[in-house]
Amino acid sequence: MNVDDDTLYDDSGNETSGDDVDFVIDVDNASNKELHSYDDEYQYEVLSTDDIVQHMVDCIKEVNTVVQIPLTTTRILLNYFNWDKEKLMERFFDGNQDDLFKEAHVINPFKKVNAVKPKISNKLLGTEECDICFMVFPPTQMTGLECGHRFCYQCWNEYLTTKIMEEGVGQTIACAAHNCPILVDDQTAMRLLKDPRVKLKYQHLITNSFVECNRLLRWCPSPDCSFAIKVSYVEAKPVACRCGHVFCFACGENWHDPVRCGLLKKWQKKCDDDSETSNWIAANTKECPKCNATIEKDGGCNHMICKNQNCKADFCWVCLGPWEPHGSSWYNCNRYDEDEAKAARDAQEKSRAALQRYLFYCNRYMNHMQSLRFEHKLYASVKDKMEEMQQHNMSWIEVQFLKKAVDILCQCRQTLMYTYVFAYYLKKNNQSVIFEDNQKDLERATELLSEYLERDITQENLIDIKQKVQDKYRYCDGRRMALLDHVHEGYEKDWWVYSE
Amino acid sequence: MANIAAQRIKREFKEVIKSEEVAKCAIKVELVNDSYTELKGEIAGPPDTPYEGGTFILEIKVPETYPFNPPKVRFMTKIWHPNISSVTGAICLDILKDQWAAAMTLRTVLLSLQALLSAAEPDDPQDAVVAKQYRENLEMFQITARHWTNVYAGGPHVNSDCDDKIRRLVDMGIEEHQARAALSSYNWDLERATEQLFS
Repeated sequence: MNVDDDTLYDDSGNETSGDDVDFVIDVDNASNKELHSYDDEYQYEVLSTDDIVQHMVDCIKEVNTVVQIPLTTTRILLNYFNWDKEKLMERFFDGNQDDLFKEAHVINPFKKVNAVKPKISNKLLGTEECDICFMVFPPTQMTGLECGHRFCYQCWNEYLTTKIMEEGVGQTIACAAHNCPILVDDQTAMRLLKDPRVKLKYQHLITNSFVECNRLLRWCPSPDCSFAIKVSYVEAKPVACRCGHVFCFACGENWHDPVRCGLLKKWQKKCDDDSETSNWIAANTKECPKCNATIEKDGGCNHMICKNQNCKADFCWVCLGPWEPHGSSWYNCNRYDEDEAKAARDAQEKSRAALQRYLFYCNRYMNHMQSLRFEHKLYASVKDKMEEMQQHNMSWIEVQFLKKAVDILCQCRQTLMYTYVFAYYLKKNNQSVIFEDNQKDLERATELLSEYLERDITQENLIDIKQKVQDKYRYCDGRRMALLDHVHEGYEKDWWVYSE
Repeated sequence: MANIAAQRIKREFKEVIKSEEVAKCAIKVELVNDSYTELKGEIAGPPDTPYEGGTFILEIKVPETYPFNPPKVRFMTKIWHPNISSVTGAICLDILKDQWAAAMTLRTVLLSLQALLSAAEPDDPQDAVVAKQYRENLEMFQITARHWTNVYAGGPHVNSDCDDKIRRLVDMGIEEHQARAALSSYNWDLERATEQLFS
């Protein structure tokens, strides 16, 4: 099965690269932390790849001052607990430490274990045989982890390269010996790897898993952007990346007020279901029932183990249920359920009617999305207009209203777009009627504003147009706020009833 | 083929040939071509199992990246076993997938497969039909597996009841293996197998 999980990363060289780079380097921690907030009091930081590495190192050090074990071991433990420091401390001080190290697949640093005796080759005294390539080496050319399994440098390099480049494993590469669960720490991996490309990929995998595991961090979803956002608590709020992209921290989508993340996701899935690609995806892939990664099955049995390193869910390919019951009481998923089949037929009839309704909303949603794209072009033409007006005895400050107007137009389009998603799922009641009125009002005003901005501006109508545009954008902005406030109030007071 | 892979296979080849299991005729490896990329394996059905007395041929394909990736192994001999596809011979065994370790060898793979024949894992099935029979009707499973061993792997136990039923389907114009597969899937119920074949 294939899980597409590394599209998040771009190779923009933003990362410290080259030989001899370690994660556990001491970088001068000049605090250039800058807190941002997009519209209200929700504060966050924008982190570059270097900042993320630094943040990771800080986390490790912070824990290390308390637990006092090798830094590399701390990293493996932290990764095992998905970078939850409190959980680690709790287990470290309250539980059985031996069990803890065993579960996390590291050697207990407080204990010297009896290492496996190196295999002395009987051909030559003082040499060892590598169990992978079966060649004989002097002991200086052999190396291994704390577990004592030793292999030659070349085999280690090959082994790690295969794991990293082909399987995309970073934090959880185990020793190459059969049945040995001890994990390769990052320092060892960086020491044994030769190819800088592989090293870079390894660092990417490690930073990536750090960000993905950490609830308070999220990559900026914009293509080719390598920044991440760090918050102090998770909430569905807008955050603006340094690249300019504004998105919802909770779900990573474009900022989608008034509709909430869950409904938006449902909607997008629905919309996607129409395209050709999605037909293929529907026919050939399934989603992991736990982490929703898209999976293509290309062989093997129906016992699936999600390859997403942070998920690893066990499930059945046929019914997508957990694997567990399949083991103990045999497939339930091979039995045709008469009731379910009848329900499916009823659902089909209903879906015909639902389709009509869906198309209505989808049409409007798509329209605004399309217009929003055109408005981005409008910026260019507005810029020309502003320059032209400055030629006609107007000061720079006097023409800024045009840019502001386009800003507001775009915001309104975006809000309107998502109101159709919200409306699609909304059940009719008194409040939903008010919402629809607000929507209608905002839509009409937005269209008018758009129309004014399309008009040619001449010397004669300039004053008139400026007045009209300014009035209209203020009105639009006001109406947009009113609509959003009304929806938010509804969330607080539980007015909204959803249909699906 | 990469240097390490060829080197390894050559060495392993010797290892299998001189191992004590070969002396007991339990496992065997042969070259298919000179490049060491494809091998033919052979394992004897373990004693006290329905596979006893049979010889099972395996197709072993060695990838470029061996031993860092596992060899691709498939049963060429048709076999009735919960973890092996009765149609394609594909094997569901963890060490041939994510539990593969670079320090494992062809010998350990062949021995693990032999162990799989004596201890099936019906909780992790490759062939759902076989696994169902194994769980619900163990006796029927053993009869079927023994019959398949007899027909395809040269096992000694002839089951005339099975042969009779197959002959009746063959007389109706069904191909022999198809008839056997259908009967095996329906616990040798001639009526249901016929129904399925002609529906």
